[in-house]
Amino acid sequence: MSDAILSAHNLVKHFHAGGWGAARKVVRAVDDVSFEVAEGETLGVVGESGCGKSTTARLLTHLLAPNSGEVRYRGRVAGTEVPLKTFRRHVQMVFQDSYASLNPRMTMLDAVAFGPTVHGIDRAEARRRAGALLERVGLDPARFGPRYPHEISGGQRQRVNIARALAFDPDVIVLDEAVSALDKSVEAQVLNLLTELRRERNLTYIFISHDLNVVRHISDRVMVMYLGEVVEIGPTRTIYDRPRHPYTGALLAAMPSLDPDRRTLEAPLQGDPPNPIDPPSGCRFHTRCAQAHGPCPLHAPGSIAVGHRHIAACHLNAVPEAAT
Amino acid sequence: MLIFTLRRIAYTIPIMLGVSLVCFALVHISPGDPLVSILPPDASVDLQQQLMAIYGFDRSYPEQFIRWLSRALQGDLGNSIATGRPVTSEVMNAVGNTLILAVTATIIGFTFGGLFGFVAGFFRDSWIDKLASTLAVVGVSVPHYWLGMVLVIVFSVELGWFPATGAGPGGSSQWSWDWDHLRHLVLPAVTMSVIPMGIVARTVRALVADILQQEFVTGLRAKGLLDRGVLAHVIKNAAPTALAVMGLQLGYLLGGSILIETVFSWPGTGFLLGQAIFQRDLPLLQGTILVLAMFFVILNLVVDVVQSALDPRLQRG
Amino acid sequence: MAVAQTDFDTLATADKPQGYWRGVGRRFLRDKVAVAAACVAGGMILMAVFAPWVAPQDPFQGTMIRRLSPIGSEGYPLGADELGRDMLSRLIYGARLSLFMGVTPVLIAFLIGSAIGIAAGYAGGWVNSIIMRVLDVFYAFPSVLLAIAISGALGAGILNGLLSLTVVFIPPIARVAESVTTSVRKLEYIEAAVASGASAFTIVRVHVLGNVLGPIFVYATSLISVSMILAAGLSFLGLGVSPPNPEWGLMLNTLRNAIYVQPWLAALPGVMIFLTSISFNMLSDGLRSAMDIKQ
Repeated sequence: MSDAILSAHNLVKHFHAGGWGAARKVVRAVDDVSFEVAEGETLGVVGESGCGKSTTARLLTHLLAPNSGEVRYRGRVAGTEVPLKTFRRHVQMVFQDSYASLNPRMTMLDAVAFGPTVHGIDRAEARRRAGALLERVGLDPARFGPRYPHEISGGQRQRVNIARALAFDPDVIVLDEAVSALDKSVEAQVLNLLTELRRERNLTYIFISHDLNVVRHISDRVMVMYLGEVVEIGPTRTIYDRPRHPYTGALLAAMPSLDPDRRTLEAPLQGDPPNPIDPPSGCRFHTRCAQAHGPCPLHAPGSIAVGHRHIAACHLNAVPEAAT
Repeated sequence: MLIFTLRRIAYTIPIMLGVSLVCFALVHISPGDPLVSILPPDASVDLQQQLMAIYGFDRSYPEQFIRWLSRALQGDLGNSIATGRPVTSEVMNAVGNTLILAVTATIIGFTFGGLFGFVAGFFRDSWIDKLASTLAVVGVSVPHYWLGMVLVIVFSVELGWFPATGAGPGGSSQWSWDWDHLRHLVLPAVTMSVIPMGIVARTVRALVADILQQEFVTGLRAKGLLDRGVLAHVIKNAAPTALAVMGLQLGYLLGGSILIETVFSWPGTGFLLGQAIFQRDLPLLQGTILVLAMFFVILNLVVDVVQSALDPRLQRG
Repeated sequence: MAVAQTDFDTLATADKPQGYWRGVGRRFLRDKVAVAAACVAGGMILMAVFAPWVAPQDPFQGTMIRRLSPIGSEGYPLGADELGRDMLSRLIYGARLSLFMGVTPVLIAFLIGSAIGIAAGYAGGWVNSIIMRVLDVFYAFPSVLLAIAISGALGAGILNGLLSLTVVFIPPIARVAESVTTSVRKLEYIEAAVASGASAFTIVRVHVLGNVLGPIFVYATSLISVSMILAAGLSFLGLGVSPPNPEWGLMLNTLRNAIYVQPWLAALPGVMIFLTSISFNMLSDGLRSAMDIKQ
């Protein structure tokens, strides 16, 4: 698709987990992941912890180099066809831990101004812009500009982190659990801010979260990951109303209710995901799937188109009626 | 366990090679001709050349290193330039005396340091705890060679209880465990024991305090702080780390004994090292340091292996 | 802009932004032992700097008939040494070389060791492995042995003494620098800096240095005490400083033969070494807890 602003092509990332030679063990954190995001769109990414969401985020922003596969920005390969430094100006990231992602010895104004100075903007101008950005994310620059990270709250820090990403004037922002650590009320405010900014600046978001309610609220499309693989990807409405992968179904079934009295912190599925060092054969979900049958443990289902821009990697969809 | 031991040994071999390289380099960083102390000042160029060839100094560095190393592996560390005797026998003689001193000092230091740390850890923030931590700071801050002098002043010069220098009637080569010899050992060993004492006290105090804070022990303590179960539990859990610290300290003392041996004229490796330095006897200097450093490396290896045998969790490192 | 005013979580906001160092200073001043240690160490430094004004006599000028005058002699409050030189003046002047020999190696090793350790920690991977394995070799020597080995091979002299002590202190400092840098490097603000497109050099300069130099420096100050003892120890062995220069270790050496005549006089230089060493040790401990660095 030519209108994709950012796309992942067969990304693979394995981490060495001990052992050498024949005994070498690797964690298959991300295994053959491909997808694309259109300009102005928000792609939600969901999955249990350990499914490779964060690794995917770091591969997309080139903080990690993939073992194979590539990331393309407007169709051009990041790192070769687009120089990394240019790429980084266009694709920014906001991290989960608002405290750890700010230098404890740097004032908020300097933290926001640092990025532009790297790209050749002089210090005074960068600081002026940083002040304006702090203002835009709802922090009075005169009051918050000279503060250090430990002197402000988590919500305020995350606003600073958003301002820091905006300072590059990027097209794409990867938000890795960016609101997950915040209190519900603060989370809502930051989400509203993100929505406003997206409209205002025509931003593209890749919004990673384990909270399905939040993802539904902000995303145009949703991608579901399991053990380093994409199991389903499609428009938000379709995914939430008619999931075509049993794993998505299970996640949604366990989703906490919007009624606060009925919210639970229970894991969406029984049992823990299998060890990613030695993932199950065939479809990786078959060990926990209620509908597993003949072919599931034998071979991987591959990506099957199940609707308009809707793909699910499940053998259940391999019957002809799926091709609507 | 076996795999861990083998891996640990495999890791030690390059270290040993590096250590021997450093020892080899010692001779070559020293200014001037290595033969200067045996050459007569009016030596002819010919004689100089001959001697250079005899000692192998005319070859390239890598070649010299390999020759030196292969001889060292066979136990031949060359001959002392000053006395002409084999370095190996001189060093081995001295190592025995240093070991007597260092082991005695370690035992004294460990006993008292451990006791102090143990009591301090049990009664945290009490006066005994404060005393113990003060002693620990004093122990690491005191120049031990000066402490040796002070002990000599008090116990030899003023009180006349113990002799100030030497290793007893047997001289440097014949040690025996009788009072005539032991009284020579008291002052140097006590001086030396101060070095590990502070460190052992500090370590044991932290260990004990840590163990007592574990929930399991809090339950046990309901029976009383000095209950046998509590004591046994604390000792059992603190012992591996404390013993490891003791082993490492013994290594430091072996290598660091030179200053104390000089003060007390104790005929060990430190004393030998002092001689080697003043007579610019480079083969002796090199050989002594090599032997001491190897002792230290092997001791580290043994401590690691023994400690991980006692506490298998450590094998993951 | 309604978002800004309704931010509920403003609990952590203080009235004035506070720098990190101000907090460290405040905590340090509350620690009485550390302040006392700082006063003693500072006093030693002042004494060294102003020695010509403080010392009552010329430390090099001896009077033969005054040889080994006892402590409390007239005109010689701390006695006179084996060449009849005023002990007090020599102890005061001795602070110069003794402090210089003790502190300089740690400072140089701090610069070099930090550079090596930070480079290793930031680079990671095989660069790190090679650097750390080389350092392991130096670690395989007990520090006293290594210092004596190197200066024994190089021979006596101030410069050789400084050199050997510097070599001794580089590996431990580099090791600490490496471990601190490695832990900082994993934090997300470094990732954010990488994502800004900044070069490794800029990231180290702007984001790493400020966060690692503090802990490395505190560790280095804890070595000053050891360095003082070792430096004086070298001179005590006849390496390092040579006569007739006043230096505490060397004075201890030359007075050693006098312990049967004037025992307590002979021990005086050691008191100075001990005082300096222990005050630097406690100063470093106070600094560590004021900076809240886990050991």
